Amino acid sequence: MKTIEFESQRVSLWYFRIALVLFVLQVIMGLWLSINYAFTLPQGLVDVFPFSTAREIHTNVLVAWMLLGFMGGTYYILPPECARELYSTKIAYLQLAIFVTAAVTAVVGFLFGWTRGKPLLEIPFPLNALIVVAALLFIANVAMTIIKAKERSALQWMLLGGVTFLAIMYLFGMPFYRNLNTDYYYWWWVIHLWVEGAWEIVTASIVAYIIMRVTGVERKVVEKWLYVETGLFLFTGIVGTGHHYYWIGAPNYWLWWGGIFSALEPLPIVLMVVDTWMHVRERKNPIINPLTWYYIVGLAIYHLVGAGLWGFMHTLPPVNYYTHGSQITVSHGHLAFFGAYALLNLTIFYFAMPRLKGINKYHDTPGRWGFWITTISMFMLGLVFGVAGILQTYLERFLDIGYSTAHLTMMLWFKIAFGIGIVFLVGVVITVWHLLTIKPSTTPAPEEIVTPAADI
Amino acid sequence: MTGKTARLIFWLGTLSSAAIFLWMTYDFHLQTPKFTHTDKLTDQVVAGKKVWHKYNCNDCHTILGFGGYYAPDMTKAFYRLGENNIASIVRHPEVIYRNSFRKMPQLGITEPETKQLVTFLRWVGEIENRKWPPQDEKFVEAYKLRESQPQKLEKVRRMPQLRTPGTQRGRGLRGDRQPHRLRPADLGRLHHQPPIGASRDNHAAAGRQHADGRRYCGLPDQP
Repeated sequence: MKTIEFESQRVSLWYFRIALVLFVLQVIMGLWLSINYAFTLPQGLVDVFPFSTAREIHTNVLVAWMLLGFMGGTYYILPPECARELYSTKIAYLQLAIFVTAAVTAVVGFLFGWTRGKPLLEIPFPLNALIVVAALLFIANVAMTIIKAKERSALQWMLLGGVTFLAIMYLFGMPFYRNLNTDYYYWWWVIHLWVEGAWEIVTASIVAYIIMRVTGVERKVVEKWLYVETGLFLFTGIVGTGHHYYWIGAPNYWLWWGGIFSALEPLPIVLMVVDTWMHVRERKNPIINPLTWYYIVGLAIYHLVGAGLWGFMHTLPPVNYYTHGSQITVSHGHLAFFGAYALLNLTIFYFAMPRLKGINKYHDTPGRWGFWITTISMFMLGLVFGVAGILQTYLERFLDIGYSTAHLTMMLWFKIAFGIGIVFLVGVVITVWHLLTIKPSTTPAPEEIVTPAADI
Repeated sequence: MTGKTARLIFWLGTLSSAAIFLWMTYDFHLQTPKFTHTDKLTDQVVAGKKVWHKYNCNDCHTILGFGGYYAPDMTKAFYRLGENNIASIVRHPEVIYRNSFRKMPQLGITEPETKQLVTFLRWVGEIENRKWPPQDEKFVEAYKLRESQPQKLEKVRRMPQLRTPGTQRGRGLRGDRQPHRLRPADLGRLHHQPPIGASRDNHAAAGRQHADGRRYCGLPDQP
């Protein structure tokens, strides 16, 4: 039975497990946020647990579980890519312990008002220093594994480049900036250059690896696509940061540069869909676990819709003038994060977790339910936020009838969002439970024809 | 396509974009003093920014359009609400929003902190950000008009007292609680209402005209 090739790949299992638990916590907090929007809460409750606290937990837990997924995923694919064990499993566990301690302390701290008050980067100083220590340990471990490897591949360097880029960008969010506009200028170096830069590189690398492993498609072909895609991601994504600078008090030419480059941002995602589809068609190996394929193809399509299409809709300055900072952004944010990164992480989990448990073909019925429930309900949620956003944009920004009136009108849609959120939570719980208790299938798996990555 | 071409696309794409971006960053720093009036960026403003962070205001309110979407944008709040109203709201949200459909937490902000916060919001309001958010520009214009030509506001009449939508239960304007039942005629009235706690004089000057040409207006606060 083909499962894992290197013992040190096992460190990733704990990264995945903790990430899954945090995913559930994130969704529960999201449901609480929708209750805040949909109903009038008593003052006493708002005083002790305000919306702002719930939101910082929702977003920080999101970042935490995604980073855990990326780090675990990297640790999983690195040994076979380098044809050797990880440099140190002790460092990997130590780094995990530091990261989780910092994250848990941060969440508890938020409940008591211990925060930097900077959206998405609220973790206060001593704790974000711990995160940096964990990141340094991670990069050192990855770099040493690659340096000590006898084999060289583009994927190794792409992964190392991606995670280093990710860690460096985090540093720009740490100082206190006196000027609010400069503060937000560098805030986007973290947020935008993560999601439309570093994270995309990590995503493209991991997807390339998984596709190579499950299809048996030649490494040379996959790596070529990887170079072109990441090149285009960075070409459009770096200057595309400008689409966040339209209204912060910056020179006029940002409108042009930001607008044009960000309008091109869907291009590499289209390429990703095309290459996934081509590789699926030209696969040399039979499909052993259909659900893993659902996730690979679902990731490509959802990524294009949520990040590409939804982002493109409001990226041009004349549209963005009215939609900036509205529920349209919420709609895009949810579809993009789920489509690009939640599905990526779940793809990694479905690829790696059965193998880590020595399972080649897994029983996937609950997982299929989980897949369809989460993907469809999140899409519905995106549409509902979108409707609320269009209402807000039209009533508040265009007709100018005031924030409160617009939000009162939108309350119906937040109630609907709450209902859909419950369905989404059910889907997430099914998926997480399935992953944590994954079992072998009773039907035998078809034999692999090509040994994957034999030509390393 | 060969592997070499693919690598070339990667490096060309990445480095060209990074070069453009770094140059733009350099230029951003050169121009920021002009766009954000850094000469007015005093220690009091910075202290206000720290208050803004300390109470995590930004996870409910947006500022420059960034942050939480749960409460109104604060970029031009100084012009929209005025100093006194901001202070009242921040110090006593449980009173101001007693009947509102959405509450603001009582955060225990002190009086000196409130002053710093107002100074910060005043400075933020002056950032030249292409008149965003769109709905607040009239308040900025009104404020500037009041500052530059106070005589124009001397002879005006008091504005009709209307309720702020969403803040009153029962007896308010039709549509307070059920905005979907608003008629087009009501929209005109809503349009000219001050937002929660807004200073009347700003609204007076900001008021557009009635269909018959009369202006909504009120008396300016005398210094």
